[in-house]
Amino acid sequence: MNKHYHNLWRLLIIATLVTLAACGQAATTPTAAPQATSAPASAPPPTAVPTEVPTAAPLGAANTLVYDSNIDDLITLDPAVAYEFSGVLIVHNVYEGLVQFVGSDLSDLKPGLAETWDVKEAGDNWEVTFHLRDGAKFASGNPITADDVVYSFQRVISLNKSPAFLFIDIAQLTTDSIQAADAKTVVVTMPKTASPQAFLSILTFTIGGIVDSKEVKAHEADGDFGSNWLLDHSAGSGPYMVAHWEKDVEVLLNANPNYGGTPPLLSSVLVKHVPESANQQAELEAGDADLVQNLTPEQIAAVSGAEGVATTTGDSLLLFYVGMNATVKPLDDVKVREALRAAIDYDGIINGLLSGNGKKVQTLVPAGLLGYNSDAPFQQDVDKAKALLKEAGQENGFSIEMLVPTGAGPGGIAWADLAAKLQSDWDKIGVKVDIKQVAFAELLGSYRAQKGQLVLVLWGPDFPDPDANAGPWTDINAHSIAFRNAWDDPIAEKTRAAALITDPAERAAAYKEITDYVLHNGPYAVLYQPTQLFGIRANVTGFAWNPMGYTDFWTIGK
Amino acid sequence: MRLLTYFIRRLVGIVFVMVGVSIITFAISHVVPADPVAAALGDHATDDQIAAFRAEYGLDKPLAEQYVIYMTGLLHGDLGRSIRTRRPVADDLRDFLPATFELSFAALIVSLFIGLPAGMISAVARNRLPDHFVRVFSLVGGSLPIFWLGLMLISLFYSRLDWLPSGARLDQFLDPPHSITGLYVVDSLLTGNVAALQSSLHHLLLPAFTLGYFSTAVIARMMRSSMLEVMRQDYMLVARAKGLRQRAVILRHGLRNALIPTLTIIGVTFGSLLSGAVLTETIFSWPGLGRYATASAISLDFPAVMGVTLLAAVIYPLANLLVDLGYHWLDPRIQHG
Repeated sequence: MNKHYHNLWRLLIIATLVTLAACGQAATTPTAAPQATSAPASAPPPTAVPTEVPTAAPLGAANTLVYDSNIDDLITLDPAVAYEFSGVLIVHNVYEGLVQFVGSDLSDLKPGLAETWDVKEAGDNWEVTFHLRDGAKFASGNPITADDVVYSFQRVISLNKSPAFLFIDIAQLTTDSIQAADAKTVVVTMPKTASPQAFLSILTFTIGGIVDSKEVKAHEADGDFGSNWLLDHSAGSGPYMVAHWEKDVEVLLNANPNYGGTPPLLSSVLVKHVPESANQQAELEAGDADLVQNLTPEQIAAVSGAEGVATTTGDSLLLFYVGMNATVKPLDDVKVREALRAAIDYDGIINGLLSGNGKKVQTLVPAGLLGYNSDAPFQQDVDKAKALLKEAGQENGFSIEMLVPTGAGPGGIAWADLAAKLQSDWDKIGVKVDIKQVAFAELLGSYRAQKGQLVLVLWGPDFPDPDANAGPWTDINAHSIAFRNAWDDPIAEKTRAAALITDPAERAAAYKEITDYVLHNGPYAVLYQPTQLFGIRANVTGFAWNPMGYTDFWTIGK
Repeated sequence: MRLLTYFIRRLVGIVFVMVGVSIITFAISHVVPADPVAAALGDHATDDQIAAFRAEYGLDKPLAEQYVIYMTGLLHGDLGRSIRTRRPVADDLRDFLPATFELSFAALIVSLFIGLPAGMISAVARNRLPDHFVRVFSLVGGSLPIFWLGLMLISLFYSRLDWLPSGARLDQFLDPPHSITGLYVVDSLLTGNVAALQSSLHHLLLPAFTLGYFSTAVIARMMRSSMLEVMRQDYMLVARAKGLRQRAVILRHGLRNALIPTLTIIGVTFGSLLSGAVLTETIFSWPGLGRYATASAISLDFPAVMGVTLLAAVIYPLANLLVDLGYHWLDPRIQHG
C-alpha cells in the first residue's frame, strides 16, 4: 500500500520540477538561449546570401519579417493550384511570371521574365509572342528556357485545378496553344473570341508563375505533374523560396540566391498562423510581429496610439453586394430591385459600421481597375423607394429571406451586423427580411444552385482586368454570379465584345455603358469596396498592399 | 482473470460505440443541405471541375455506397482524403493529434497538481482562510469562459509582464525536436534537446492552465467534499486513535479513499478538456486537432469530420476505461463485473 502513494507523490514531485524548470526559464532567459539547436530554422541554408548569415536569431530578428495572419485557408503552394488568399500571398513572392504589375498599379503592364511581347492577329486567332530575358535562372541555378514556360502553362491546363479556368475558359487555351519557337521565344495562340488583354493580366497572377521544369519533373509521381511535391516546396525564380511550411503553424521563406532582380532587403520572411486577432494585436504591440493582417477597425484604433506601432491601409478589389434572385417574386420586377437599392443607407454603413474603412462604390467594376465607374447615385431615399414599390404593386411591402455568412467579412465587421443594418433599412419601406445565417460554404452551395432569394456576399476579381467582373456579373453563360441570380440579359453580348477591344480608351467607354446599365437593371445592390487594415511596426519600410491580395515582401525592410 | 474478461468486454463495447458513431456522423454530415465541393473549389469553379472533384472523392455515388466504401477503407486503416487539405485524413490526424494530446495531458497534470492538494487543504482547513481561498478559486474556475480567461492571461503574462509567450508550441526561430512521438516535451527529452524542452514547456504553461482551470476547479471541489466525507469515517478515528499523526492519517488513509469519487470526475473532465481544446487552441495559435476539427466542419470536410469524431469516439471510452481500472488500483475490493 505504501508503495502506491509513493508513486503518486513521485509523480507530483516530477510535475513540480517540470513546472519550475519552465518558470525558471521564463524568468531568467526571456529570449531563447542561443543554443546550436536554435539556429537552423532562422538561418538560411549556407548557399543563401552568405554575407548575412544570422547566428541564433532572437525573436523578431533584424533580418526576418514576421507577418501574422490567419492562414488556415492555405492548402497548397503550387502556383497551378493555389487559389486562396494565403496561397496567393506566398506564391506571388516565390514565382515570377512573364509579365507583371509593379507595386499597386494594375493598369501598366511591365516586363517580367519576358523582356518584350507582342500581340498580332493570325487569321481566326491571336498570336501572343514572348521573348524571354537572357540569363534568368531558377533558384536551383537552372537557366529559364522557353520549355519551362511551355511546361508551366501546359501543367496548369492538364492539372485543371481551381484557377485553371482562367487559362481554359477565359483565355481559351489548350495544351497545343503553347509552343516554344526557340529556346528564348514562346508563342501562345488563342481564338479571336478570347481577350489577349485579359490573358496578359491573368499572367500576372499566380497561375502565370513559371516553374523549374527540370526540378518539377524530377518529383513527378503518378502523373501529378509534381503537384504533391510543389504542395510544400518551391521551384521558382522569385525573390524568395519556400524553406518550410508547417501546417497551421507557419511558412518560412528564405531569399533566393539566384534571383535576377534587386535582392530582397530582408533575408527571411516568416508568415505565422495567428488565427485570433487579439493575439495579433498583442504580438504587434510587444514587437514580436512586424506586420499583422486581421485587426478589426476597433483594434486598429486601439493600437494606433501605441509606441512603436503604426497602422496602414491597402486597397482591395472586393465588392460587398446583395444578390437578388431575378426569378424569385417580387425580385423579378426591376422596380422592386431599384426600390431595395434606394432604401439602403450606404453612408451609414460606411461611416458607422465600417468606421470609414470602405469606399462608396455602386457599380460592378471596383476602383483601381480599368473601366471603373464612379457613379454612386443611390443614397437612402425612403420616399422614392416606397414610390417604386407602389409602382410595382408592392405598396404593402413583402417578406423575403436573406442568406448571410457567419463570422467576420473582410474589413473586420461581422456579416451579421451588416445584415441587421440592411434589415432595418428595408424595414422602413415595409420589406421584412428574414435573415438566415449559414456557414460560407453552405451559402455558396445554395447560391450556386440558384436557391437564394437575397444573398449578402462579396466578390473579388480573379485577375486585374474589368472583364474579370463584367463577365461573371452580366453573362449568365459564364455560369457565375449572373447565373446564381438567374439574370439572363442581352447586355452580356456587349460584355463579350468589350473584352476583345484592344484600345484602352475605347474599352473604358464600353465598360461605362455596361456598368451604367447594370447599376439600374442588374440584380445587385453593391454596398461598398472595403479598405484593408494593417497594423505595422513603425520601423518597417516599403510595405505596399497590392489590391489583388498580396504584397511584395522583397521591398520591405526594417 | 475477471479483470481481463472485463477489459475485453469493454473493448468490444468501444467497437460498437464506434460503429454507431460512424453511422450517425456519416448520416448527419451527408444530409446537411450544403455542398462540400463548392466549399473546397471556391467561388469560381466550373461545372467540369466540380464533376471531376465529385468523382475523385466518390461524392457522386449513393449515400449507402459511400458508407460501405468508407467503412471498407476504415477496416484497412484508411480514413479517406480530406476535402479541404487534400491529404489523407490519417496523415492530418497524425500531424495534429500530438499537439492536442500534449496540451490536454498538460492541462490534466495542471489540474491534478493544483486541484487535488487544493481540495485536500481546503477540507483539512475547513472554514479557515485557505478553505475560503480555494472555494473562491473553484467558484471562479467553474464560471469563467475559457476564451476570456485565455485573453486575460495573455494580456497579463505576455503583454504586461513579458514572462510567457502568447501562443504557438515553440519559439518561432527554434526548430522542433526530431519527431518521435510528436509530443515536443517528450521528443526533446528523448533527444536531449534542452532548448526545445525549455521552449516547449514555456509555451505549454498558459494554454495548459487556461484549458485546465475548469477541471482544476471541479477536481478541487470534488476532492474537498469527498475528503470531508472520508474524514468523518470510523477508520479515520481508528487511525487517529492508534496514535498516528494528523498528517499521516490524512495522507495514508484519507487521500486514498477520497480519491475514488474524485477519479470519476477526473474521467468526466477529460472529455471537457478535449472539447475545451477547440477554444484554447484558437486563442493560443496551437496547431492541434481542435482547430483542425473546427476548420473541417466549417468547410464541410466530411472525411475529416468523420476522422476526428471517430478518434474522439475511441479516446473518450478509453479514458473512462482507464478511470475504471484506476478504481481497481486504488481499491482492489472494487469488483468489475
